[in-house]
Amino acid sequence: MSPSPEELYEERKERVDRASSLKEPDRVPVLGGFGFFSARHCGLTHHEFLFDYEKASKAVIKTSVDFGYDTAGGISRLGALPFTLAFLREYEGLAPVWVNGPVHDILGVRYARFPGRELSEDSPFQFIGEEYMKVEEYDELIEDPQRFLVEKLLPRSCRNLEDPGSVKAMVALFKWGNESRRSAEANKKLSAELRRLGFPDFSGGFSYAPLDFIGDYMRDVKNVLLDTFRVPDKVKDAAVAVGVLILEMNRVAAKSAPEGTRAFIPLHLNEYFSPKQYGEFYWPTLKRVVLDLIDLGLIPYIFYEGYHDAHLETILELPKGKTISKFEKTDLRKAKEVIGDHSCIVGGPPSSLFIGGTPAKVEEYVKGLLEDVKPGGGFILSPAVSIPGNARPENVRALLKAVEKHGAY
Amino acid sequence: MTSRGKIVDAIVDLDEPTALGLADEMIKSGVDPVEILERCREGMSIVGERFESGDFFLSEMIMAAEIFNQIMEKIRPQLKRSFIESKGKIVIGTVEGDVHDIGKNIVIALLEAEGFDIVDLGVDVPPKRFVEAIRKHAPDIVGMSSLLTVAIESTKRTVDAIAEAGLRDKVRVIIGGGRVDEYTTEYVKPDASTDNAAQGVRLCKKLLGGVEV
Repeated sequence: MSPSPEELYEERKERVDRASSLKEPDRVPVLGGFGFFSARHCGLTHHEFLFDYEKASKAVIKTSVDFGYDTAGGISRLGALPFTLAFLREYEGLAPVWVNGPVHDILGVRYARFPGRELSEDSPFQFIGEEYMKVEEYDELIEDPQRFLVEKLLPRSCRNLEDPGSVKAMVALFKWGNESRRSAEANKKLSAELRRLGFPDFSGGFSYAPLDFIGDYMRDVKNVLLDTFRVPDKVKDAAVAVGVLILEMNRVAAKSAPEGTRAFIPLHLNEYFSPKQYGEFYWPTLKRVVLDLIDLGLIPYIFYEGYHDAHLETILELPKGKTISKFEKTDLRKAKEVIGDHSCIVGGPPSSLFIGGTPAKVEEYVKGLLEDVKPGGGFILSPAVSIPGNARPENVRALLKAVEKHGAY
Repeated sequence: MTSRGKIVDAIVDLDEPTALGLADEMIKSGVDPVEILERCREGMSIVGERFESGDFFLSEMIMAAEIFNQIMEKIRPQLKRSFIESKGKIVIGTVEGDVHDIGKNIVIALLEAEGFDIVDLGVDVPPKRFVEAIRKHAPDIVGMSSLLTVAIESTKRTVDAIAEAGLRDKVRVIIGGGRVDEYTTEYVKPDASTDNAAQGVRLCKKLLGGVEV
């Protein structure tokens, strides 16, 4: 008899939790990073997936059940961290951290391009870095980061907030509040339904590396890197200033997050830096954010994007067993060697394998990888980024099959 | 040390003010711009080596490319192209659906420094524009850059469009960028592929029958 959803929930949760805490579960867990694949699998356009909560929720549920990984998919969305940080202290709780389709329409977010708007109906959304802060403005940011965000960054990064205090801007914020409630309710309902169907949550919180905030939302990646050579001290001071707001955000978030909630931190600039620059400009403020989250009882779930091979040792500076490390292009075998006893490793096949591979190749990949990284536990398999919209379904199915075959302890 | 040697060091040390100051000085004192270009190439070649050996990371590459481009801006008006021997012509662009150009621009700076003629099509370039550019410029190599996952598909569509236009055997195709790996290569079937800018330059040389890789 196949297990009930309740039994499945317990079994999967135990599997994921044991691996997270560096132990051996019954088999290697597989995370359901379905992303836009949920839309494609259920015949939705990317536009529908990002604008219609009900259709999107149904697609996520169907895809999660059809493929039966250990955790479910989710509705894709972009970050709205400038808002969350700008409204701290005045706004009770936390202002939403996400931009979805309707929010994009309401605010006119310039750093985002959405399908059916700036892009064709069936493209994934895009995050477009721009220079929203001039290099001359570092001092102003450092002096009062929150004020800078409210008065300069929001009006520059949202078409409908261009003229703060205008009727247009006030109406946009009013509508944004309403929409955010709708979207939060839809998400809450989706999570509850997924739990009911036997899927535990993997992460429930969110945070950010301070310098990434400056690179992604304010200066643009290329500019912030040039700044590290041209105005190094200002870059460091700005990261500290923004870091103060991020720490405060974490403290507010922790009040409503159960102990042990995993807080996702996607890193962007990490692979651009040499170890020397990483240690000088990026790591100190990120480390502070990570340690603070741990003190608050959360588990930082850090996504080291791109190649992180050169910085693996820095992870050893974090308390053992208190963080989870997801890698994209980093050599997972090397990661296992360096941090395998210290932080749970999450990683797996690149998007290209789902698109261009075959089930046999997926199995070959999984078998080879698990032989090397499975021993001793502390490993979770996950798509390197997420499963791309145009993945071949047979490859998505083959992944779980291969783990069931080669991932048992 | 002469200012000619110093400018090489300044580029390699990523010392922007010094490198630009020296370039201005050399121009003012009547140094042949071809000579200045040669020194910049020397500097960028060392920069590329440091990247490959793991001493430099992307951050240093971006700074070096920025310095190189600024010096090129200064000397370009005076460069008589006919005096410079071109290693070959490359049409390059970021494929449709992707607007990332950091990687592409690093590669362009390194390729220019190596003496290639570059036609930069910019970002979000549809297959049709690649085909038109191949017809118009008759390049030796066409380079496709990408960062996003969705661009894997666009890259394939571009290569297919080049084949459909009957141009596939007229050009060598190289793909590069953050999502390029063995599986992408197998799927797209270019003549060469890499996710490393300095290696991309070596592959271009190899494609044109130059230096062994």
